[in-house]
Amino acid sequence: MEASSGNYIRTFFSILIAFFLPMQLFSSTHSLPVYLQQDTHASDTISHENTSHEGNTNTEGDHHENLKLGSRLFFGLTGSSDSPVNCASCHNTKALDTLNWNPSAVEIAFSAAGLDSAAYANMLLFPVGKRLSEAHAGIELTAQEILLIRQYLAELGPKGLVAQKPDIRRMMLFLFLVILFLLATTDMIFFKSLKYKVVSVIVIMLSFGWGTKMVVQEAIALGRSKNYAPVQPIKFSHVIHAGENQIDCQYCHHTAEQSKSAGIPSMNVCLNCHTLVRDATRSGKFEINKIHAAVDSEKPVEWIRVHRLPDFVFFSHAQHVGAGKLDCAECHGPVKEMHVLEQYTDLSMGWCLDCHRSRKVDFLENEYYSMNFTELHRQISIGEIDSVLVEQIGGTDCMTCHY
Amino acid sequence: MKIYWKGFEELREANDKATGNEFPHELPIVLNKQSKGSSRRDFLKTFGFTIAGATIAASCERPITKAIPFLIKPEEIIPGKSNYYASTFFDGELHQSILVKVRDGRPIKIEGNDLAPMSNGGTNGIVQGSVLELYDNNRYRGPLSHGEEVSWEDLDKKISEQMAGADGKIVLLSGGIISPTTNNSIKEFLSAYDNSEHIVYDPVSHNSIREANHQVFGLNSIPEYRFDKAEVILSFGADFLGTWISPTEFSFQYIQNRKPTEDNPAMSRHIQIESGMSMTGSNADQRITIKPSREKAILANLLAFLINESELDSFTGKLPESPIDIKVLAEELLNHKNKSLVICGSNDTESQMMVNGINYLLGSYGNTINFDRSLHSCQGVDSSIENLVKEMNEGKVSGIIFYNSNPAYDYSDRDAFLKGFQNLDFSISLSYTTDETSKLCQFVCPDHHFLESWNDAEPKDGLFSLCQPAIRNIFNTRQAQESLLTWTGKDVAFDDYLKKFWEENIYPLSGSDMDFRAFWNKYLHDGILEIPASSKLKPSIGSGQLLEILGSLALEKEGETELILYTPVSVGTGKHANNPWLQENPDPVSKVVWDNYAAVSPKYADENGLNTGDVIKINGKYEIPVLLQPGQMYGTISVALGYGREEGGKASIGTGRNFYPLVRTEKGQRKYFSTVEFEKTGKTYDLASTQMHHSMEGRALIRETNLDEYKKDPAAGNEIHEEIELRLDSLYEKHEFAGHHWGLSVDLSSCTGCNACVVACNAENNVPVVGKEQVKLGREMHWIRIDRYYSGDPESPEVLRQPVMCQHCDNAPCENVCPVAATTRSSEGVNQMIYNRCVGTRYCNNNCPYKVRRFNWFDFNKADSIPKNTVDPFDLTLDLPRMVLNPDVTVRAKGVMEKCTFCLQRVQEKKLNAKLEDRVLEDGEIKTACQQVCPTQALTFGDLNDENSDLSKHVRNPRNYHLLEEIHTLPSVSYLTKIRNKSGEA
Repeated sequence: MEASSGNYIRTFFSILIAFFLPMQLFSSTHSLPVYLQQDTHASDTISHENTSHEGNTNTEGDHHENLKLGSRLFFGLTGSSDSPVNCASCHNTKALDTLNWNPSAVEIAFSAAGLDSAAYANMLLFPVGKRLSEAHAGIELTAQEILLIRQYLAELGPKGLVAQKPDIRRMMLFLFLVILFLLATTDMIFFKSLKYKVVSVIVIMLSFGWGTKMVVQEAIALGRSKNYAPVQPIKFSHVIHAGENQIDCQYCHHTAEQSKSAGIPSMNVCLNCHTLVRDATRSGKFEINKIHAAVDSEKPVEWIRVHRLPDFVFFSHAQHVGAGKLDCAECHGPVKEMHVLEQYTDLSMGWCLDCHRSRKVDFLENEYYSMNFTELHRQISIGEIDSVLVEQIGGTDCMTCHY
Repeated sequence: MKIYWKGFEELREANDKATGNEFPHELPIVLNKQSKGSSRRDFLKTFGFTIAGATIAASCERPITKAIPFLIKPEEIIPGKSNYYASTFFDGELHQSILVKVRDGRPIKIEGNDLAPMSNGGTNGIVQGSVLELYDNNRYRGPLSHGEEVSWEDLDKKISEQMAGADGKIVLLSGGIISPTTNNSIKEFLSAYDNSEHIVYDPVSHNSIREANHQVFGLNSIPEYRFDKAEVILSFGADFLGTWISPTEFSFQYIQNRKPTEDNPAMSRHIQIESGMSMTGSNADQRITIKPSREKAILANLLAFLINESELDSFTGKLPESPIDIKVLAEELLNHKNKSLVICGSNDTESQMMVNGINYLLGSYGNTINFDRSLHSCQGVDSSIENLVKEMNEGKVSGIIFYNSNPAYDYSDRDAFLKGFQNLDFSISLSYTTDETSKLCQFVCPDHHFLESWNDAEPKDGLFSLCQPAIRNIFNTRQAQESLLTWTGKDVAFDDYLKKFWEENIYPLSGSDMDFRAFWNKYLHDGILEIPASSKLKPSIGSGQLLEILGSLALEKEGETELILYTPVSVGTGKHANNPWLQENPDPVSKVVWDNYAAVSPKYADENGLNTGDVIKINGKYEIPVLLQPGQMYGTISVALGYGREEGGKASIGTGRNFYPLVRTEKGQRKYFSTVEFEKTGKTYDLASTQMHHSMEGRALIRETNLDEYKKDPAAGNEIHEEIELRLDSLYEKHEFAGHHWGLSVDLSSCTGCNACVVACNAENNVPVVGKEQVKLGREMHWIRIDRYYSGDPESPEVLRQPVMCQHCDNAPCENVCPVAATTRSSEGVNQMIYNRCVGTRYCNNNCPYKVRRFNWFDFNKADSIPKNTVDPFDLTLDLPRMVLNPDVTVRAKGVMEKCTFCLQRVQEKKLNAKLEDRVLEDGEIKTACQQVCPTQALTFGDLNDENSDLSKHVRNPRNYHLLEEIHTLPSVSYLTKIRNKSGEA
């Protein structure tokens, strides 16, 4: 009997766990920036040898002290200058959702890893490029200070950017509702401290209803990632390319009309312009140089995929852009206004079907429909209908997308 | 009415049924030990854990997937679209011109090349399966020296030293080679080493044909056979539709003459004289069984009869007694003079010489046989390997280079070979995958897989076929020819070498008026170059020579029990034994998978107290389970070669038994039959077969007729169809299909049962391999199967075949019972199966009258993330073999139902192409995988709404009927009745 009751308790606990674990969901970490943590394995490229080869015979304690000093310098907390601007005001050390055009502290650490001290100081004090020299004008740092900053960055590089803390307000609210519900229930059954039962009942109903609503909402959002906007390895902005410079979507995504995949432009497409355009208005040379670095090192840029359908769904850009003549923005939203590209729609099956049920096909113009579909042709000829919806030619059949 | 039975067991148990024992076969259900005593408590534990686990899994943030574009995108590659490259398959025995479908850099499917005059767009199972071998985990990763990894430079240095210091012979032992450029590189290699020799070795030899032609006509070649021109085909044990010389080509030719129409109801007549039930024999109009030792006697009598009839001469000598009456045969052949064809599968020069004589007297040469385009395969001379082994044992051979040959497995006197091998100073294997011989060799210089190689082929005189890589070599391998050239001292890439050879030799031959660059690009694109046949050779033979052959016959003694060794259609001679697709492809006749067995006739088995599954010991040494095979000659045992590999990978090691040691050599020729003794061992062994699982309980599903009946009434055999159609009334509204209404028609007369469609379907639709144990439980996953039925006397039955796939019923019984609407009918008449909606109740499977639905009992493809679900006996879920998966078809996970989809991915692709090009979809544009592969074009896919489509014509044909049409399921798949030509009216 002992053993079996133990089993019951374990079973109870697993159900309890099963019940409480969904709360993890409510931390809403869907759009957590991610990519910078990926590349931290390359730490050997920026080692301490690089930073302290000037003959410093640092002990372990000194080193720790130096890092602290470097960090203070970087954040403008100490130093000779009393300027309100510091390194960290442009070069972030935390992963951010908003676009910062300047390279992050980590990116600097990696890109400058191979420089010697003089070149490093030169880069910092007298950078090339108009915008950068303006921003860096007036920086007064001694060689020792630069070294300290460099040491700090070298230490920071392998660690990567500090992730933002997830927003737990929703989870707290849910926990509050659960506690409220439990309190009201136990009070109503055991303690009966509230005089009017109806208050308990109302509290129970409200907390239960609201809690359930949250669970349902989160459950529906499971596996969908509307507004997913990961930080990409290059700060590529569709605002500049598609918006300000009016480049057609299909100039870069040029297989959209022919293939399932719209295609992510290969580096040679980028180079069509960027062999000449080497200096960007906002990000300077830093981001564009990444294209050239990729071509030189023969390592293509590893973008983070934004739009992703489950494996059992077969979507074809050719069908929608080529045959259906849809505008890209209908599904992808105002991409021209997005500095950081985000998933505009939830790409759910309901969303697909809504469109398939209401959109007209190119029935009379496209020769494909001239054969068969006799009934629809008859209805059009006698004026019963004037157009044909996707649904009417089998657009809501399962086999349209699932096979 | 004729009784059809699907296996011998079924006939035997007809009596059981009468006594109420309806299910005599118990499924060998193995109770899971863990499930013993499982209780509510276990359920709750699992339940709790699963929910907790699922929640943790679901609460993780979205996994990061990367999208990595090309650095510099090649112009012709569009991500998400497939490219097709013309290439050539040749494994030393079988040649085929193919197109390789390459998707995002990976070859994923092989199609026949429509331009190829030999195969006409058809392929066979082995060629279909070869794409999986590219991703075989047992391939060599790089060069090895004494089992240690080395660099190519170091290895070349070592090998060059060894070869330079060789005091004996250096032998290149290769499989068949039909590539002129490869032959040229070998010639260069041989000329660099004085004491070198090239020996061609075929594990299954057809050398006697060359030898006979050489002796009779002075032509050392295999002629071109024209089955399409023959009105009477008489085959002595040659499985020409399955494995004999060029089966895909012969299948296509054969069937051209066997598609009678109302306008032209002509049909060839096929007589097969054989011992075991071969695939070809099962298609014959008349099948005569003999013991293999009696074959010569029949041939001699037939030849003597024809000589006497021809009035050229007369044979008066004594003849051995023929076991059958040859007069009827001879007269039938004579009635079709110039239009008959006699072939023989035996590797016996005397037999083949007599066949030559018979064909000559029948006027076949120049008509159904000609030497203008003789075949280049099967060059192996049997005696040369005998000599080699002898010389090895005498210590005359310093080193051997094994190129596409594996004598340690498939040479009959293995002990002598291994003993001689000890005397070698060095041994080099060029094998791309692990095999018995390469395991023995000091140096392994792995070749590319053929899909990674440049090559060419000249399968017939003046017919060239190019081979180009469809993927960069996956491992650190080097093309064999390049290795040979390196050791010759030539540092040249083989593609340059090939191009140069073509520019110098083949380009001038072709007489093309293009410049070479254009010429090369055109034929590399097409894959095929045909140069007009030069001479009209008409061989002749004197009557004196014929009498001489008859006079000097050496007859075999008839044995009490005779053993026949044959090449299996599914797996071949053993080279492809490690291909799980092929191993799970059922034998066309017995439907056994993953094994070879001793086929014994029911009567003979009864007399010897044998039953299916009993293990016998042949010649006191070789144990093998028995299978009762209707149509097997009494007193004979047939065993397939190509099994029982000891090296090579999980699918081949220990699968079946190696019977190559029982091949005997007589007068320098390898013989594939012998007199044997056998004894019962008392052991039993379970053979896995797909045969009994799908019994349709004796309903008349196959409708057949004979040619004379067909001439009188095209609906002969199908009379019931009209009657059923009349009764098909329904309370429900008739289904309307606005756009397309897809359908498939199967011509039962054309289907030879080769099972190529099964492998093609596997490749196209990511159908998993389940392994022998699961097949025993009836869990094979094939979306298309070929049912085989027998009728008549078990000792000489008639065989019928019927490919069955999802029938896509308009009134589908499966749809009504699905509780979650995971299977529904589309507006195009397709029965859709939605995997992501399926919860696995299997109601649909229970309610399907055709038993075509397949349930994923386990996660065979590693489609879900729960590791415990995966069952993968052959490592097919590792990263490398998974590269073969078709990205256009969902990879199914555990617990969902699946079935034939009519290759919807192809339908959708072609529909979209038509829309993009602003045109109507043409009939025949969409080809399902099974249709595309079919060498006999037995399947037709199309639109039933299009009155002019080929499919609609088939449906209007009086031969058309549906499977189980009386139950009003209204299938979209239809069948055309089988027509035989038993009466001899050609």
